[in-house]
Amino acid sequence: MTAKMEASAGAISENTLMIYGIVVALVGTYLTYLNVVTGMAVFSFFGGIGAIAAIWWGSDTIKHLCSYGLGTGVPSAGMVAFGAGAIAMIAGTKFGMASPIVTLILAAIIGAVIGYIANNVINMNIPVMIFSLMKLSIVGALTMLGFAAMCTGTFMFNGLVIGGMTLSMEPAGEAAAGGAQTFMVTVLPEFAGSLIGGSALAVIFFLGAMALQHPFNACLGPNESQDRTLMLAIEVGFLSMFVVAVMSYAFLDMMAATVGLIISLIGWFYSYKQYIALSKRDAYAWLDAKPIIEVGGHE
Amino acid sequence: MEEIVLGIGITALAGAFATVAGAAEDTESDIGSQGDPNSQVQLAPQMGYIHRIFNKAISGEPPAYGAWCAIGAGVAWALMQINYNPALAIILGSVIAVFVQGIYCTSGYLGRIASLAKFQQPVYIDIIKSLLSVTMAHAFVAIFCTVAMCYLMASALHHPFALPLLGLVWGIALGAAGSATGNPFYGKERQYQNQKYGAGVPISASGNIVRYAEAGQRSSLDNGWFTTKFAGPASGICFGLIVFLELWRTVLFEKMMGGWGAIIMGVVLILVFTFIDRWVEVWGRKTYGPYTTEEASS
Amino acid sequence: MSALGGKAAGGEGINPTGSVVGIVILLVSIAATYALGFSIVPLIGIIIGGALIGFGVHFVPVGGAPAAMGQAPGIATGVAMLAAGAGLAGLFGGAWAYEATGDFAVAVAGGAVGGGLMMAITCLMVNATYVFAMGIPAASGKIAKDPITGDTFPEYKSQGTEGHGLPFISFFGGVVGGFIAGLGGTLIYIELLDVYHAGLPAIMQANPEAIEPLAVSLAGIFAIGFFLVNAVLAAYNITGTIEGPHDPKFKRVPRAVIGCAVASAFCGLISMLIVLNTGM
Repeated sequence: MTAKMEASAGAISENTLMIYGIVVALVGTYLTYLNVVTGMAVFSFFGGIGAIAAIWWGSDTIKHLCSYGLGTGVPSAGMVAFGAGAIAMIAGTKFGMASPIVTLILAAIIGAVIGYIANNVINMNIPVMIFSLMKLSIVGALTMLGFAAMCTGTFMFNGLVIGGMTLSMEPAGEAAAGGAQTFMVTVLPEFAGSLIGGSALAVIFFLGAMALQHPFNACLGPNESQDRTLMLAIEVGFLSMFVVAVMSYAFLDMMAATVGLIISLIGWFYSYKQYIALSKRDAYAWLDAKPIIEVGGHE
Repeated sequence: MEEIVLGIGITALAGAFATVAGAAEDTESDIGSQGDPNSQVQLAPQMGYIHRIFNKAISGEPPAYGAWCAIGAGVAWALMQINYNPALAIILGSVIAVFVQGIYCTSGYLGRIASLAKFQQPVYIDIIKSLLSVTMAHAFVAIFCTVAMCYLMASALHHPFALPLLGLVWGIALGAAGSATGNPFYGKERQYQNQKYGAGVPISASGNIVRYAEAGQRSSLDNGWFTTKFAGPASGICFGLIVFLELWRTVLFEKMMGGWGAIIMGVVLILVFTFIDRWVEVWGRKTYGPYTTEEASS
Repeated sequence: MSALGGKAAGGEGINPTGSVVGIVILLVSIAATYALGFSIVPLIGIIIGGALIGFGVHFVPVGGAPAAMGQAPGIATGVAMLAAGAGLAGLFGGAWAYEATGDFAVAVAGGAVGGGLMMAITCLMVNATYVFAMGIPAASGKIAKDPITGDTFPEYKSQGTEGHGLPFISFFGGVVGGFIAGLGGTLIYIELLDVYHAGLPAIMQANPEAIEPLAVSLAGIFAIGFFLVNAVLAAYNITGTIEGPHDPKFKRVPRAVIGCAVASAFCGLISMLIVLNTGM
């Protein structure tokens, strides 16, 4: 007596989505490097665009996986994707300029291992399991990397763990009689105020996990249609980007954070309007303050 | 000594915040119909019962509240980094979290109902208009109380975790406690009010949820009105007890026996709750007696 | 967790090939850790922690959507996230105890008790709701007699359901499950924290006190990531719902223990790469 899950055959094939998702996510993350090239932080928002592309692709992957019936619902797939993705992403940021690529590869390996365990050790015997969990781990890792890059302006480990610098002044020697006290000034990195050191990455973790599972979970049903689900993925992606933009005020300068905020709000508003229009298109009827229409149940 | 007195005060305040948060969380999820009972709201149109109940399909309550409280705590943390006043930062963080929650609510309702077009379930757009503000208000109370509680733990009790991580941990626990306690009351007692009292819903009745009220048609607001009488406060007590006792045993007994005092106290508390549970279970069996069919009892 | 049940594709029994390959992955992870110059003791701790999480989830009585209608016994929510709620509440206590005392045994025991306490209160309130608000006595659908108290169930079961409420064996399972899950989560956290405490100051060129919040946050985020992966794998193993240790599905537990151990070993290896000096 449970709702049945059916995946709609969409106009865009899963492989096309995968190529677009990976390419845009990687390019978006790399474009944040313009921050370093130009010395301004206004290019950070590209990371958010990349993360949205990953979520957009992932929402379609999760649909194909969950149409097999996992026994625990759609959200758990999002959780495992981001649990694995978080591990891959933090380890991947250690590799400097190659970080996004290394993150992708690490995530694919972790996803394959977890998929193999689910399929062959736990005996789920779902044909797409290994490949799907591989893809979902990549989605999780790239989403977190993109949002982290947007929040801090960099995708490298040092940028994610060093919140700022504090000056430490220590007396450098005995003050000479009548002379000025001399101090030795050292610059100390400060970790508690950084994205990872302050655990703000945990917020991105759950923002992404919710955004990944929500589109298909919200749209499932016999009349699910691919364009509506994907539009919802973009909508929740921009909504998550909005939260990340607000948090980025702690790390970026006023202008860079505001640029991210405005872009995310415009994108969210447009995609939300589109989503409502698509829902109106698919709905049986669109009624305002009308009574229940009896179709005659099993009474 | 002074430190312990302050610790007890903070513990009591955190417990009070948690109680309010639990009550608000469960009422919110019942008005919006979130979590497991929502399967019946989803199922009803497929069995031919068109309804006007909010169908808020946003995962289960634990991940959802984990996310909302993490957002609230994360934004509050970020604002405190740029020297906002903590009270203002927590309020702004909760406002943004509630905004996100509200948007998720609307997209969940529209998505699920639009996908049920085959069963002739229309989208009643007035449901969103009339109920969204109510659920968002309850969610604000729940998120604000949880984030404020986490802030107390981080700043006054010096827990090593940073505020966003505490928000995530306690948000998940809030959702777990609220859904465990509140779901059966909403799912069985309210959705299936037409079924016999004191018995589970027969599987054959699935989907036949109550859709009409005393007068007119049942709205999800009526569900909130009903569940605040038991499920909300019970969830509040559940989460409040969890937070209060967890802090209480640590604050008071941490220093005893090199840390083992808090653990012994925890084991004692578990045993106490085990005895209470056993008493409740036996009391239920003794008082209500074995299950009898309608014919046999009348 | 949500509205979906769906049928499970998984069968009973252990897949020998899969398990052997899994154990090979586990051993390779340990060997790789050793080859990279890390001590393998923390990794062993992480593996044990992951296996404990997978083991503990099987004790937690979760009924999913049918439990919310009084159609099946157990707690009416998703198994992975309920276990996560208990385990993370335990992690909260364990991390705090580790900070205050620095004693490994106290911290692990604190995490276990925290998880057990959370589940004890939750299970009590579930029973209170069933008995005092809905007038339904507890009855299991899978067994006729409670193995601990000797109560019999069939006469209390409502017609057309698979049982309802939390019989004492399920309550016991819930507490034990929370206890084990809290223990496993805290174990992973402490092992990772020790690795980062030792390794981070060197690669970040900072003094240990300054690095403290970073080590705690990294270990905390990783512990949550590990927890979710292991809990979801265990949830897949029991296909969503279980009544407790008396449920026939409990016999599947070896698969989950192997699976979670392998997953933890591999993820543990990756999470240690952070303190590897890559020179970048």
